[in-house]
Amino acid sequence: MESSDEQLCRAVAEREPGAFDLLVERYQERAYRIAWSVLRDREDARDCSQEAFIRLHESAGSFAGQSKFSTWFYRILVNCCLDQQRRRRGWRRLVGWRDQRADGPDEPDPVEQAPAPFTDPVDGMDTERRMTKVWALVDELSPQQRAAVTLSCREGLATKDIAAVLNVSEATVRVHLHRALSTLRRRLGDEG
Amino acid sequence: MKDVHVDEWLIDHVRGDLDPADRARVDVHLAACADCLASRERFAVLMTELARTAPAPPPIHWGAYRADLRERLERRTSGHGRLWAWLVQPLPALVAAGLVAVLVLSGLPTAVRTSDPIALDNTILATRLDMIARLDVVQQLDLLEDFNVIGELDELPEPQKS
Repeated sequence: MESSDEQLCRAVAEREPGAFDLLVERYQERAYRIAWSVLRDREDARDCSQEAFIRLHESAGSFAGQSKFSTWFYRILVNCCLDQQRRRRGWRRLVGWRDQRADGPDEPDPVEQAPAPFTDPVDGMDTERRMTKVWALVDELSPQQRAAVTLSCREGLATKDIAAVLNVSEATVRVHLHRALSTLRRRLGDEG
Repeated sequence: MKDVHVDEWLIDHVRGDLDPADRARVDVHLAACADCLASRERFAVLMTELARTAPAPPPIHWGAYRADLRERLERRTSGHGRLWAWLVQPLPALVAAGLVAVLVLSGLPTAVRTSDPIALDNTILATRLDMIARLDVVQQLDLLEDFNVIGELDELPEPQKS
């Protein structure tokens, strides 16, 4: 019978041979995909997802089993990604860049401030162009909002799991998602 | 009034992610509010699009990924990784660079460290004291011969005094 993720995590904590490799094989694609969705950089995504596995190896003993293993691991992973974002932003500031994606609570999202583009309601937008555009607009969201959208719409996590991953309340997740999707709708000219 | 709407619950309603009590509350509101109902439908369409069209990340070789991960993990657990990570930290690197700079600068002559051109001239003259001691000879040298003769000043005959 196949071991559950939680059992494997406990086996990793006890340094049982092979347990860590099994968990990596189960989660490597999801970890890389989520990291890439947040960071949008292949090397950073590879590096952060590997770092998350290393932290998992180091702290497997602290997994109390009160949440699902996947929620606990995604939290480690998303923290790595957000740390990486902050470091990247710090370096940009250090060399004089103005970060266009600040997500501090007092800094308004530039995407939300921008006026909605003119769209011709008769012609509409063809589906392919729209699809390309919708994910390009997701890239312009703040890292927290992008993480919430990715975990919700792509990975199918429930609100309480996203809250646990992002270490915020469920109400905050709802606000992140509502603002993010409202912004996307406005930018796509969907406001009816 | 906007604040009586259920905007922030609509996404969870679409996803079926509300407990029964909250779901019933939202259902009641949607039955009476055309704006929220329309908004819910637009959220549903957008979320379906997002789920269906999510771009795939660039492909990577999973064997190489796991090998690299294993190597990183071994470095980290063996302690070499920690030492190397410490060495490449910005602060220790800056301190080391500063120390090297101090050592290099302290090894140079004082005149080179200073930006005072007079002090620099004095230093160069000090290395040519032998020429100054024979200034009367040097002043009589043809400019074109200077470089050959200067090196053999000690071999020149004493100038005859008239």
